Amino acid sequence: MAGRLNRLIDFAPVLIALILALLVASVLLLALNANPLEAYDFMLQGAAGSENALAETLVKATPILFVGIGITIAFRGGMINIGGEGQMIAGALAGVTVALVMGEMRVPPELAKEKGAFDLIIVACSLVGGFLMGALYGGLAGFLKAYFDVNEILSTIMLNQIAVQMMNFLLNGILLDPAEAGFNNIPKTARLVTAAQLPRFSINIDLPRQIGEIQHIELFARTRLHWGLLIAVFLAVIIYIFLWRTSLGYRIRAVGENQRASSYAGINVKRQMMFSMFLAGGFAGLAGVVQVLGLQYRLQTDGSPAGFTGAAGFNGIVAALFGGLNPIGAIPAAAFFGGLLVGAQKMQRELGVPASLITAVNGLIVVFVVSSEIFILQRSKRRVSVAENETPTLNPSPIKREGLASSDDGEEDG
Amino acid sequence: MKKISTIGLLVLLLVSGVVSLAHDDVFRIAALMPSATNDLAFSQSMYDALVAVQAELGEEAFEFTIQDSTYIVDDAAVALRDWAASGEYQLVIAHGSQYGPIVEELAAEFTDVSFAWGTRQDTFGMDNVYSYAAASDEGGYFNGVLAAHLTETGVVGLVGPIEVGDGKLYADGFANGVASVDEDIEVNIVFIGSFSDVPLATEAAETHIANGADILTGTAQMVVGPIAVAVANDVLWFGSDASQDELSEDIGVAFQIYKWEVLLLDMISKIQEGILGGEYYKLTLANEGLVMEYDKDFEASDELMAIADATIAGIVSGDIVPIPEMMEEEISDEEDGDE
Repeated sequence: MAGRLNRLIDFAPVLIALILALLVASVLLLALNANPLEAYDFMLQGAAGSENALAETLVKATPILFVGIGITIAFRGGMINIGGEGQMIAGALAGVTVALVMGEMRVPPELAKEKGAFDLIIVACSLVGGFLMGALYGGLAGFLKAYFDVNEILSTIMLNQIAVQMMNFLLNGILLDPAEAGFNNIPKTARLVTAAQLPRFSINIDLPRQIGEIQHIELFARTRLHWGLLIAVFLAVIIYIFLWRTSLGYRIRAVGENQRASSYAGINVKRQMMFSMFLAGGFAGLAGVVQVLGLQYRLQTDGSPAGFTGAAGFNGIVAALFGGLNPIGAIPAAAFFGGLLVGAQKMQRELGVPASLITAVNGLIVVFVVSSEIFILQRSKRRVSVAENETPTLNPSPIKREGLASSDDGEEDG
Repeated sequence: MKKISTIGLLVLLLVSGVVSLAHDDVFRIAALMPSATNDLAFSQSMYDALVAVQAELGEEAFEFTIQDSTYIVDDAAVALRDWAASGEYQLVIAHGSQYGPIVEELAAEFTDVSFAWGTRQDTFGMDNVYSYAAASDEGGYFNGVLAAHLTETGVVGLVGPIEVGDGKLYADGFANGVASVDEDIEVNIVFIGSFSDVPLATEAAETHIANGADILTGTAQMVVGPIAVAVANDVLWFGSDASQDELSEDIGVAFQIYKWEVLLLDMISKIQEGILGGEYYKLTLANEGLVMEYDKDFEASDELMAIADATIAGIVSGDIVPIPEMMEEEISDEEDGDE
């Protein structure tokens, strides 16, 4: 009972922060002669006001969730991964290359655009390729941290830039769509064959209309919702089990909690640090390849990092923190931020306010909501100190010292 | 109670009918742009065109809505789908060649909505897609000719975005224009790999100056950086896409201005006739979709003005071909098509 009450009290600051953020954003909207209530109504409509809006929210949430799961693993292993953007790009580059090559090998040209075609082998190989490349890219930062004590925040940020330039180079070179070569060589790959694309899905519901009459409803039938979402949710559950129900997951979390104690207990700390970054990079890589296979069907860039990723590499960090560094918690958190981003666009379209204001409104919400974690952290610290008075414990978590703690108490039973 | 319901229903039908009629009288366009509407470049040119169309047709007959700064392609898909699905817009414009794949997908799904996208010559073979482009090589050539006559150091610099589309056309036209006057003039061209990276564009402009350039030019929304460098170093500036007169102070010379309203007005009349797409438009100096405008502070000699006028006349008549290789390619394509 006390645990439930604590969780409710923990959630209250998040709600208060959200309201405060909306109040401050209202001032900005009023300054631009926009009615805040109308603005937030449009935001809500854009995020969940229709079947298509809801689908777009979930589509936007998908890469954020993938990255968020990876960030959760890294942070649980005591690593701060800011390299989601670069890892996404690395994964997308590898995944799209695999899909293009295998598509050419396995699908005859006349069947390239055949509707409904699906080749599990191409898709699976492409996903694995994307995961592995992202994992290697993330693992590189982990290796540098574990064996050369290179600050992983700096190395991942630098690796982001390298990935962007590599993408620009490859998309203007060997990966450039042959149809683009010439005067309009827009940097993008060729379109994937249909068999290499992640199918879109809809939900069939039979509702009783009258006695003896059933109304058939097909939800999300004409939307962009694709299998990537299902894969992400499934993997979130798998990673939760991995982190809290397996010895390997326990070792990662132990290293994140206290490296010296873990080392003393016989855990290979360096290996776990590398492994957590390997997995984090892999999930970001999956985010990249799923964006290509499920949504864009080709990799293209405008030369900027976010042009392809949509800043999901960074938004995933916020979603992971908002989700309490718990893969399951990252699911609603990603949906929330997906809705925020999609809804804000609707607000801009309907009110005609500048795009920079929308960025500011989003930023305010993120700052306030994440700041509410401080309150939650202090409460959890108080709880820990009470527990310490009863049972002596080791030093507090390095994550908690960094102010990135979650309130997922009661989960250390793995 | 039944009577009240019937009357209520009739009133509702009447009101909705009136609303529907009002809806039909207004032509509505929704436009998506990659950068801000005040970028002094690509997006502003389309925004200015929409304002010009509204001035031409009247606010009671024409309305438009926009979403700007949408450089993330995935975000563009959300907006374009929302507009297409709403059924409120007769024409949905995707102003950026990067949006092409989205337009291709949506046009197949929403066949009763007309789409326009550019800058590219490709309607995907669909009857509800218009495509458009600008012959920016023409203005580039014109600017190149003037730059060649105005340079004293014999070095000119160009800062481009990504080596694609009208940015590349402008650069090629500019280089050919300079070479048509004096092949010994050094034309240093840098494509920075981004449409929006102002600091990088600024660095590129400063590098041009350090290499002796006394004239700068460039395209895309990041040119605000190079213009500031030109002003600070008192070197001449040639622009494209929209007028940069206000920003370039007294160092501006000439600007190539895109008049998208020329093609928009034609598209609107065609859509009202029931032709939803299937055609390609190109802005040129000949059809007045491209206009060369001088900076208000620029004072040219009569001799230079005569050269400028002759250059425009030559391009319009076809005597001057800014990029001969492209002409050869187009002829080759036409011959292939004939076969």
